[in-house]
This record gives sequence, structure tokens and C-alpha cells, in this order.
Amino acid sequence: MKVLTDFTDIFVRYDLTGEKKGKAKQVSKDPIMEEIAKFVVNGDEEGILPVVKKALGTKSPMDVINEALIAGMNEVSRLWDEGTYFLPQVILSSDAMNVGIAECEAKMGKAMARKGKVVTHTAEGDIHDIGQVIVNALLNANGFEVINLGADVPVDKVVSACKEHRPVMVTGTALMTTTMTAFPKIGHQLKAAGLGIPFVCGGGAVSEEYVTSYELGIWGKEAAQAPGMAEDALAGDTWEAMRLKWNG
Amino acid sequence: MNAKERIMAVLNHQKPDRMPCFGANSTVTYDQMEKVKAYWPEGHVDGEVMAKQALAAYTMLGFDAVRVPFCQTFEAVALGCKYKPARSLEGGEGIPGIDHPPLYKLDDTPVFPKDFLSLGRIPELLKAVRILKKELGDEVPIVGGIIGPFTIAGSLVDTVPLLKATFKTPEKIRPFLEMGEKAGTALALALIDAGADIISVEDMTASPDLIAPKTYRDYELEYQSRQFESISVPTILHICGNVDSIIAWMCQTGAHIISLEPKASAKLAREKCGPDVVLMGGVDTATTLFMKPPEVVREGCEESIADGIQILAPGCAVAPGTPLENLLAMVEVAKAH
Repeated sequence: MKVLTDFTDIFVRYDLTGEKKGKAKQVSKDPIMEEIAKFVVNGDEEGILPVVKKALGTKSPMDVINEALIAGMNEVSRLWDEGTYFLPQVILSSDAMNVGIAECEAKMGKAMARKGKVVTHTAEGDIHDIGQVIVNALLNANGFEVINLGADVPVDKVVSACKEHRPVMVTGTALMTTTMTAFPKIGHQLKAAGLGIPFVCGGGAVSEEYVTSYELGIWGKEAAQAPGMAEDALAGDTWEAMRLKWNG
Repeated sequence: MNAKERIMAVLNHQKPDRMPCFGANSTVTYDQMEKVKAYWPEGHVDGEVMAKQALAAYTMLGFDAVRVPFCQTFEAVALGCKYKPARSLEGGEGIPGIDHPPLYKLDDTPVFPKDFLSLGRIPELLKAVRILKKELGDEVPIVGGIIGPFTIAGSLVDTVPLLKATFKTPEKIRPFLEMGEKAGTALALALIDAGADIISVEDMTASPDLIAPKTYRDYELEYQSRQFESISVPTILHICGNVDSIIAWMCQTGAHIISLEPKASAKLAREKCGPDVVLMGGVDTATTLFMKPPEVVREGCEESIADGIQILAPGCAVAPGTPLENLLAMVEVAKAH
């Protein structure tokens, strides 16, 4: 009689073990949407255009945006979180998604409705903006309008952009300790102007301890947290509540 | 033992009188600048001022080696990239960088200038090394810093296009990695000629935070190995971030010393790399060393040593605002081991 010594396969449901870690999951049950989503997941900004054009013959632009493009980007985000995807792939997928969105917006004759505005920047004196590139991509993918101020942005330019756009949230990225000293100044000036906008700061130099030392500051541990934080800000959470929730 | 003998003992797998402590990256701080009356931005551009600042690591901190330069722009600027001078910020003087627009597009063929070593501020850097050699002789090693191939490639074509190419058109990055390796190696040889005893290679763009591990293995490894083979003196390889996923390949480069941030596992490095490579590292520079009290710095150092570190070092470039007492605390710990 054969004696079982390895019990790992007992009680395994084989219909649930088809997926392995490291594989992209199906994004949509609709084959047209799934095909478009694949181009997002594969980061193919050339191949996606004809497929989106074709789909717009039978699908509405907003459906394509939500069910294929944004949904595809969410899958990319998940793959990145689980360590299967790396930064270059996130950037390529975001580019592919944007090509698709542009085509859909052209069909609609207007830009897609955006949930709210977020002003993003990399600190004055700092040229290391990869973190911000990712934050921009993820916020964009999650329906926010990103006011991208770029890198090495003077403090007053950030403050005036906030005054002009009244964003739900403002973000700052800094790789060097020499440049992150701009952030408390921004927090102070925004507060003084009566703008209690949640100011999410992250990047290599930036620590929770530093960011929570000035008003409005909320520490962003990972770029991937930006959309969730923006949703909270959009829902009306104060910076204090957000700090409590995200920084403990 | 003097500092040089101490470091050589570790490199030769002999027992040093105590653990060495020095930086693979810049260790200049405003405290030190104040004491030696040598400041930024001059220290980034003037050989004499640079040497004065570097020397303070030995005379003020008691570190076992001195290190130049303090930024990551020397090779890129000499290759033709646009220099972005350091900003004068409220916290103090800053560090220069490379400005937009980038020098090349991915389809371009990069050109290595014949007079590379005389371009940009390289002459001042070499001058600084000569001054340090005269000052320190055979007592204290001089660490000459160069930038690794991937990071220079990022300066040449801009980082985002480079990252995208690693997946889309990877063969297009080769000419730029080649140029980066050529430039770094040329600078390394000139540094050695001027008196550098150890060469430290910083390559932050090669980090798994930025590129996929397989990109490191399939592209960067070849150029880094070539570079290390060309360098006759002891070498340090420093890649920022958690390098656990590429550490096995990092040791294949031929680097004598691997400098790790605390987020990477020294234990794993030892496991993957075997007994011969020397491990260097210590405490996080952006948080612990910059903002915490000396006791926490000491604790961090002890943890790293328990994890397998053989040379105590700041985990990355020291934040210039780092308090003097925190750097002195590191040396105290090293002296006790």
C-alpha cells in the first residue's frame, strides 16, 4: 500500500490553483475590453491605438476607459505591488494607457471627467523625479487630474499652483536631505494662506518623522499609496485625519 | 595599525586591530565645513577646497579613509551633459546635478571625447587627490569615487527613456552603458594615477528600485565586470536600495568590497557571495544618521555588524546636515569591534 507522506495536495481545489504568482490576471470578461487591457499590461503604446480605435466602433469611450484602460493599469499596479513587475514596466503601461485615453477623449470630443486635481512636484534643487513620475502615472490612472509641476520647483511656485488650482491634495518628492527642507516651508505657506491641503511627501530622503514634524505633512511611504490618499482627500478628509490613518 | 594597514588587513582576510570605519560615498557635512573653513559650492569645483573637505573625514571624524568627490556629475559633464550647479537652499548648500535636456536620444551614437580627462571639473578632482596624497602619504587611503555605467547612461539619455528602453528596446542601451563604463574606467585610472588607493563605484540607477533584476544580469553585469577588471586597486561597489534580488550577480563583478544600505541583507550577501567578498555598511543615512540621537546610531551599527558587516560605513551618501556627534558615534562603535 502506498503511504502518503506529503500532504500538500490534499484538499486542494484544482480550479483555484490555475493561477500562479507572477502572471497577469484577466482584467475583463468582455473579449474586446480584455484585448485592450492586454496592451496596457504589456506596455504596448503602439499596438494599443488600432485596437482602441476598433473598439470605439461598438463601445462607449468611457466604458473603454474604465473597463479596459484604467482596469488594465490597476492590474499593472497589482503586479508591481506583488513584485512581479518593475518600474520600467509601470512607466510603459502608463504610457500605453494614456494613448488609449487620448483616443477615447478625441472620440468624446472632450477630456474625461476627472475626480479632482492633485498638484505634484519634486523639491526645489532636486532633479530626481522618478518617484513623482510614478505618482503622476498612478494618480492619472485613477481618474485624477495631475497638475505636474516637474522637478526642481521653487517653493512659491508650488504654493501659487495650489492657490490657482485648489487641488484636493499636493505631493512632494525629494531624494536628498538637502532638498526636503523645502517641504516645511510649503506647508507653512499653504497654512498661512488658509489652504489646509493635505501635503503628501515621499522619496528616498524623506522619513515619516520628518514629514509629520510640520503641519499639513503626510508621509507617503510608497508611490502606490498616492491614489488611495487622493481618494481620502477627495472625500473631504482633513490632513490631520489622513496623517492619523496613513501614518499612525 | 594605521588606517591603511587596518583596511588592507580586512581586504586580505587578516585580523585588523579593530573594525575600520569610512564612507564609500560622500561624508562631507556642514559641521565639518565649518571647522575646516571650506564650503560648498566651492568644494564641488575647486580641488584645494575639495581636498580640505575630504581630509576632515580623517582629521575630524577619525574615519579610516577620505573620499572624493561629493556629487555624481564629473563623468557625465565631461562627456558633454549639462551641469546643474548646486542650489543654495535654506538648509545649506546643495549638491550639483545633471540638467535637462539630455545630451543624447536613444538612437544617437555617443561619442567619447579624446580629451575626456581634461574636461569639466575632472582636473580639479585629480588635483584634490594629489593634494590628499601629499598630505596623507601611506597612512590613510584615498577613496576615488566614480559613477557606474547605468547611472552615467541615465545622465546621457535621461533616466525615464533609459528605463523604458530596458524593456522595449534593450539593445539600444548598450552604446550608452559602454560609454558609461569607458568614462568611469578612464576616470578611475586617472584617480589611481593621481594617488587614489581604492576606487568606489556608485551606481544608483542599477538598483532594483529602478531596473528589473534581469536587466542588471543581462546588461549591467557585463559592463561592471569589465570595469572592475580594468581597475588594479581594491574596489567598492555601491548600489542603493534593497539589492537582495541582484546581490548574487553583484559579487560576480569582481568588486572586492560590496557596500550595502541597511535595507539590503548582509547575511544574504554573505550566503550568495561566499567568504571572499568584504561587506561594508551600517546605518541609514536619511533617517538614523541624519535625525536620530547617537544611541540609535550606535544600535544601528551594532545590528549591521551582527548581520555580517566587516567595514562600518554610512549606508549611502551622508546627508550634509548630519550632526557631527552621530558620525563620531560610528567611529566609537568601530573602535569597540
